[in-house]
This record gives sequence, structure tokens and C-alpha cells, in this order.
Amino acid sequence: MRFMIIRKADRETEAGMPPTEALISAMLAYNDEMIKAGVMLEGAGLQRSAKGARISFSGGKPTVVDGPFTETKELIAGYSIIEVESKDEAIAWIKRWPQLDGGGNVQLELRQLFSPEDFGEQAVEQAKEFERQRK
Amino acid sequence: MKFMMIIKSDKMTEAGAMPSEGLLIAMGKYNEELVKAGVLLAAEGLQPSSKGARVRHAGGKATVIDGPFAEAKELIAGFWLIQVKSKAEAIEWAKRVPFDANGPSAHRAGVGEIELRQVFEASDFSPDLYPSSEAQELMKAEGEFRKRTNT
Repeated sequence: MRFMIIRKADRETEAGMPPTEALISAMLAYNDEMIKAGVMLEGAGLQRSAKGARISFSGGKPTVVDGPFTETKELIAGYSIIEVESKDEAIAWIKRWPQLDGGGNVQLELRQLFSPEDFGEQAVEQAKEFERQRK
Repeated sequence: MKFMMIIKSDKMTEAGAMPSEGLLIAMGKYNEELVKAGVLLAAEGLQPSSKGARVRHAGGKATVIDGPFAEAKELIAGFWLIQVKSKAEAIEWAKRVPFDANGPSAHRAGVGEIELRQVFEASDFSPDLYPSSEAQELMKAEGEFRKRTNT
């Protein structure tokens, strides 16, 4: 089963301050454990919403609004995608998230991912073709 | 530059409704265009939050709360990760997400929202900021992982 661990944004991530060396080392060490356990598939950190935009559609027409966006709890600051045997295993990993992050008050969300099989044969074929091109 | 194009959840995605055939085809075509243009790095759909959980770390303790979570607009339903030359190019791709009669928000034709967010890359983490040998070793290991997995 594949899960996405979502790290919610907070005032610090939205302020765009670079992480301290201690924090970056703790995060990378945590990722490294998941890599060595063969659990980690990919991950990324997101820049502050000030560098992003929202594209709203109404009547099929897009309108662009540049960031920043104020409702921090609606924003995400990063994610990791992991492959595990069960939701319990995913929760065991997420509980070990570095305590240094967010000053020990970090909010994380775990969400199960769909696989191409969930969307039928054509989606499976398209995913295979994409994998082939990526390599 | 890498950008994440995020689709937020709504009542339909949270109810676990599967996409209609029209939506599947529209999204399939859009994905194909992203692949052909060589900009697509990853695309994922998220299952309803009822299958997930939240973990809150506070004062060194982790508290687990199982889903579902009520505030759909705080949840994400899916995303694309794209590699482009500029934010303007990312916006052009976001404008072309098929929010037409077939969805992605299939119950409200033509209505929807994409959130575009720039993704950090290795070059954003200057070695000057992180000079310790531990940090440098770990960054090297992460770089090797990314190279190996093409992520």
C-alpha cells in the first residue's frame, strides 16, 4: 500500500526561513532510515505560498491569483510517499517524524494513494508507458 | 523549476466516488499531453481521508486521530508534479486542467481550483548554510537516492 505523509504548513514554513542545520540533518536522517528500510519512494518540500498561485475555474474559465495565501492550515509544506504493508506500519513511521520539526508541534496527515489499477486497464497502460519514458 | 499542481478535495472525492468515464478520458488526455511535452514528473490521486489519519506531535508526544476529516478544503485530492522553465509556464499548464463538463469536479461542471506551489530543489540548499560533515553526508545520500529513483 502506498501512503502520502503530508506535512502541513505553519507560520515558519510560510515565512520562508531556511531550516537550521540541526533540523535539516534530522529530516535527512529520518528520510535515510526510510530509504534504507526500502519504504521511501519519493518526497519534496514546498516553497512558501508567496511563490505560488491559485487558478480558479468558473464556467470553465481560469482566473489566476498569486500567493501568498493566508489560511496556513489549508496549505501543505511538504510530503513523502511511502510503500508499506499496512496503515499501522505507516503510522509507526509517521510517529517517528523528527521532533525538532515545527519546534515539536508539527501537524502531519497520512493519506492512502490510489494505484492505476483503481482506474481500470487504460490507466494501467498509461502508467506503464509513463514509467517507460521516465527511464 | 519544479511545481506541484494540487487539486483540493470536495464532497465527491471525500465520499469516495470514482471518476466518471468522461472524466477519466479527459484526465487521461491531459496527462498524455504533459508526458508528451516532457514536463510530467509524477501524478497521484489520494483516497478519501476516511482511509487516512492525522498525527499531531506536541511536546514530544505523538497523538493519532483516524480520518475522516470534515474540512474538505483543507484536504488534497490529488496532484501533479511538473518540471517547467518558469512560473508562467506552470500557470499555463494549470489553466489547461480539464475543468469542463466532465470534471475533475464532475458534480459542478466548469468549477474548480488548482493550487500551484514551487518545490524545493537541491540547489536551494546552499552548502554554506549547512557546512557540517553530517549534513553534507546526508545530502549526498539523498542526492544518490533521487538519482537512483529518478525523483
